Amino acid sequence: MSSFGYLIKEGFKNLAHNRLMSLASIGVLISCLVLTGSAIMLTINVANIVDSVGDTNVTKVFLDDNMTKLEAVYKGKELKEVDNIVDVQFIDKDESIEAYREQLGDEVFANMTGDDNPLPYAYSIVMDDLSKYDDTIALIKNVPGVASVSSHRDVAAKLTSLSSFITTMSLWIILALGIISLFIISNTIRMTMFSHRFEISIMKSVGATNAFVRVPFIIEGIVIGLISAIISIVLIFVLSDAIISAARNILDFPYTRFTEVMWPIIGIFCAAGVVVGALGSAVSIRRFLTHEGNEVLGW
Amino acid sequence: MIEFNNVSKVYASNGVHALDNVSLKIDKGEMVFIVGASGAGKSTFLKLIMREEKPTSGSIIVNNMHLETMRRSKVPYLRRTMGIVFQDFRLISKMTVYENVAFAMRCVGKRNDAIKKRVPYILELVGLADKAQDHPSELSGGEQQRVSLARALVNNPEMIIADEPTGNIDPEMSYEIIELLSEINKRGTTVLIVTHEHELVKSFGKRVITIDDGRVVSDTADDRFVVI
Ligand SMILES: Nc1ncnc2c1ncn2[C@@H]1O[C@H](COP(=O)(O)OP(=O)(O)OP(=O)(O)O)[C@@H](O)[C@H]1O
Ligand SMILES: [Mg+2]
Repeated sequence: MSSFGYLIKEGFKNLAHNRLMSLASIGVLISCLVLTGSAIMLTINVANIVDSVGDTNVTKVFLDDNMTKLEAVYKGKELKEVDNIVDVQFIDKDESIEAYREQLGDEVFANMTGDDNPLPYAYSIVMDDLSKYDDTIALIKNVPGVASVSSHRDVAAKLTSLSSFITTMSLWIILALGIISLFIISNTIRMTMFSHRFEISIMKSVGATNAFVRVPFIIEGIVIGLISAIISIVLIFVLSDAIISAARNILDFPYTRFTEVMWPIIGIFCAAGVVVGALGSAVSIRRFLTHEGNEVLGW
Repeated sequence: MIEFNNVSKVYASNGVHALDNVSLKIDKGEMVFIVGASGAGKSTFLKLIMREEKPTSGSIIVNNMHLETMRRSKVPYLRRTMGIVFQDFRLISKMTVYENVAFAMRCVGKRNDAIKKRVPYILELVGLADKAQDHPSELSGGEQQRVSLARALVNNPEMIIADEPTGNIDPEMSYEIIELLSEINKRGTTVLIVTHEHELVKSFGKRVITIDDGRVVSDTADDRFVVI
């Protein structure tokens, strides 16, 4: 067994030796990572929904209620002349009510045909430059006979602000959990170092460098970090799948699944695990190894 | 080689003057006994040599290294030039005799093939070849101290420093341990032994340094030292 292999083995032994603290470290780190992953998945999916809403770029323009079909059809020309509008599509209110009837059943809509149709005629319009959206909407509203304008944009804006709110909240929680896990890991390592102080004093008496003495403890920290990362990845895989399936029932949309974006996330998680583990142990080791005196004969 | 020039040590924590203006020289290849009453400063003397403590004043040279100015990061390399033997053996109970000795080699980054050759040789030297796979708890005090000695020797140090190596073992065994250290000394290793056992010291007729209340009160080349 090489000396490096020996040290790795020691790192694992330490971990098993201090089961409770190791489990606490792993637990906190997992909650930190799972939250990070969930925030990432949420942000990706909301961004996608918002994007695709922008892509379809559909804005509906509703005309005045009392307008005849002929007047309504003529309005199309007027709308098309509005700056920034590239295409208009007439939506017949008779067809709309038929669509509702098919979807929701006959009874309610049976007597809503013809003159009794409560729906207005409408157009769906396509804009050229979405950055001029608000100006264009204002122009459309100025066209006589236009009652109201609706678009998915409001929904998109609401989704975006909700998601950024959740992301900001998560960031703070992640930061707090990150610091807590650093703290717990460093305490775990300090405990293992304390329970190995006898071996450490022997190592120092035979001339082991501090770098050498710390290797098993850093490895222990890294193992804690990596175990947490792996469990978190599995959890997010299961969790995001369940949540996406549930979300499908509310809004059918090609959600981004974890498997599609997992490699960068796995990379980030493993890196975070290693960094937090190594940092956590380095902090405690530094304190432990730099105290002067009594390190050899004093134990 | 050890050289102390006007070395004093005051422990900052309690203000105890453990060593007071000590100057002495120990040449390479010497075997030296250090004696003195409890609290005289013998262990402090050893701690200064292994740079576990820094002198309050004065200069210390050990194996050509200036300890008072030595950086912390260099201390391990100083320690590699010396083998340290403790009164309480300091063996790792979970490890076998072989592993305990091999541990010292692993700690300084020795390779496996070197360890496999060296450890059996050293165990043979201290007469424990047949106990290699035993655990320390299965050995007598004298045997445990020989394991500790093997560990101190395994990295081929220039000197052996022993703080009361016979303090925890019975008299016949004690004689054997000092005899073994004397054998090692004959092979060229400097040997420094702190001990209370005056009879033992007398029987070897080596240099004896007597410390009392932090001062060297006698330094003789034979057994005519002052008994405190
Ligand atoms: N780490 C320390 N901090 C403070 N005082 C210390 C420390 N180590 C030793 N001393 C004090 O320094 C004095 C010399 O101690 P030292 O251990 O060198 O004595 P010693 O000769 O080895 O005694 P013994 O034969 O009992 O081992 C004592 O008064 C002791 O209390
Ligand atoms: Mg002592």
